[in-house]
Amino acid sequence: MSEFKKFDQKNWVKTNLNYKKDSGSWAWILHRITGIALIAYLFMHIFSLSPLSQGRAAFNEFMSHYTTPFFMALEWILFAFVLFHSLNGVRIVLVDWADGAKYHRALYRYSIVIGLVMFFAMGYVMFSHEIHNLFK
Amino acid sequence: MYKHQNSQGSGSFSWVFQRVTGLILVVVMIGHYILMHYTPESGHTYDAVLSRMQSNWYRVLDLTFLVLGMYHGLNGVWGIFRDYKLKPWQTITIMSLLIVFGLAFTLWGVKTILDIPYVQTSTSELL
Repeated sequence: MSEFKKFDQKNWVKTNLNYKKDSGSWAWILHRITGIALIAYLFMHIFSLSPLSQGRAAFNEFMSHYTTPFFMALEWILFAFVLFHSLNGVRIVLVDWADGAKYHRALYRYSIVIGLVMFFAMGYVMFSHEIHNLFK
Repeated sequence: MYKHQNSQGSGSFSWVFQRVTGLILVVVMIGHYILMHYTPESGHTYDAVLSRMQSNWYRVLDLTFLVLGMYHGLNGVWGIFRDYKLKPWQTITIMSLLIVFGLAFTLWGVKTILDIPYVQTSTSELL
């Protein structure tokens, strides 16, 4: 065991940035970051939907803050996080249960391509109303 | 026999369940995104939510989505902490915080869903 360098827990950011990274290493890092962001969002989501209990006027007034272009852009970024976590999650399941270890790099590349296509498709769906107004 | 210092048992159940819940969440998430963003109104108005929630199937689906999402998320956070060498008091503190906040917010979400009233008018009128 002595040939292994002891993992430096105090400088873990530095240690994590220093080792040589394969696509799988990036997938692991991004899966954690997006995962933490998504559970944080779920807590916010429960908080922000709680005015549903106060009836129509209160809820619509509350939601009007979240349908501004700024929050729509944030929602689009949120979709990028959901997409990465979902596609990489499916990749993890394939690696664990479907012999995916043999083609995990290809799976990662396919995930990125599918993810980018879905990201821009969702951008069109979310902003279609605004886009149509631009070209009227 | 080797036993992880922070685990009760091997943890293989939560490993499998993390993948199973993840796959379920991906499927439900597709439906969630279609419903929320098909039109600007469908996801962001009280009437759209009210008309959906007249169906108990939607309520059950939403409750399942909430509980599974919370479990998957907090189990994932716990998995991250388990990668580091934790002292027993840290294990207890982190576990307690995850369980307390997880339960509190899940119950808040359940209450929000169940508080939505059933109305007498037909759902087509509301749409």
